Amino acid sequence: MANTSGKAYALNVLSPIKQSGENDRGYVEQVRTSIQNLGLHEQSPFANIPQTYLARLFILDDVVYESLPGADRIFNFSEILSIFSDKQRRAALPHQEHLKSKYLVFVSNFHGELDDYLEGMWLQEQTFIKTVWQHCVAFDQVNDLISFKEYIYKCQLDTTLFFNGSTDDSLQEQLKGLYVKQELANFAMENQGKSAEQLQQAYQQFISRVQLENLDGPSWKPAQSSLAVEGEAI
Amino acid sequence: MSNIAGKAYAMNVITPMRWYMVWANRLIFHVAVRFPSTLKGLITLSLIHYARWTIIPRDKFPHLSPNQPKEDLKYSYMLFHTNFNGSWDQYVDSFTFAIPSGLDLFWKFNIRYPKSVPLTPFHDYIRYNQIDTDHYYSAYPMASSNDVKAGKKVRETVIAFNQTIHDATPEEFQKNYFKMLRELQNDLGDMRPSPVVSMAAKAVKERALASQSVTNSQVKKEKQTAESVPA
Repeated sequence: MANTSGKAYALNVLSPIKQSGENDRGYVEQVRTSIQNLGLHEQSPFANIPQTYLARLFILDDVVYESLPGADRIFNFSEILSIFSDKQRRAALPHQEHLKSKYLVFVSNFHGELDDYLEGMWLQEQTFIKTVWQHCVAFDQVNDLISFKEYIYKCQLDTTLFFNGSTDDSLQEQLKGLYVKQELANFAMENQGKSAEQLQQAYQQFISRVQLENLDGPSWKPAQSSLAVEGEAI
Repeated sequence: MSNIAGKAYAMNVITPMRWYMVWANRLIFHVAVRFPSTLKGLITLSLIHYARWTIIPRDKFPHLSPNQPKEDLKYSYMLFHTNFNGSWDQYVDSFTFAIPSGLDLFWKFNIRYPKSVPLTPFHDYIRYNQIDTDHYYSAYPMASSNDVKAGKKVRETVIAFNQTIHDATPEEFQKNYFKMLRELQNDLGDMRPSPVVSMAAKAVKERALASQSVTNSQVKKEKQTAESVPA
């Protein structure tokens, strides 16, 4: 099990969706429509869920059938015999199988502990959770934070290998870093050619404006997708 | 479908594997976790935010109620999720060119895995087994993984720099300021919305409008039908 890499957490949740449907629409179709119509960037519900780095939702309709012949790495006796009989030839092909349920897949990368993350999720985005998961099996038993956590634990699949190519800092630290990087680049460009005295003065103003240590102060907002609010406080 | 959120691309790949080889694949991953140097190739690529491999044994698909049919599978499955910067082709090709042997090791026991070289069968394999994302979210759509790492470095460097300039004369300050900029010159790239941000946003908006218009026309039709029925 490797759900964590430092303080970064890799969450996988597979929630089976109920069979059939209502109002002439299948449950799967309803779930798909509801997740496809979620807002982008700042309008996404994940922008309100604390510490979410990256998250996604999709539907696993079925498993995939590998129909291509050959290229197997494991010795398959049937492949040798397949030149003698059609029955053996068919046996050498990969097995075709299907899922009996369709699954809503929720994948999230976030900072911190799973318990805290689920708590933040429930407290901040209860309506979103109920809308998206309402047609999933056993979700009707979810009515508070405790039952929500229990439900997610039942649906969770442990990550086998988690690769962190970024940082495991809190989201506030990551966003502050991006803000400072952008502001310093602008400062360096705007203050080229100034005298030492002017430069020092401008730098002092810059530092008091960006408030390096203040994570709640001026920074990028979660999912900020334009520079229109650049430099404004959260 | 929304595989893109700003500069990040979400890829999901599901591949079957023989159930009795799960232990061997787990062992390979376990070695990779214990000895992170085996992932050096991935770190060098430097275009991944976070990636993960999850093996689902054939009898471990979540089963939550007696009313839910239990899965009856011959194969176990491996799910691969990644968040990377750049295009699909750039990503898949960079895997092939940078870490072919590591890649082949991770997918070694998957059914009909064609190996990462040559390129075309590998492209076909990934494309065939890929599942599109319906909703994708990034907390920093204007930033790449390298931007996030650079942001951390810039902030830490500036904080450390500030500790050294309290009593500095303007000339001393200027000298050290230029030194700091030289140290950070590779980390100060400007970040802006990429064209893909607006294209993806436009596509989602159009889909929502189309869906709304279908619903409105259905309601209108139902209303007309109801009105045309004599009381």
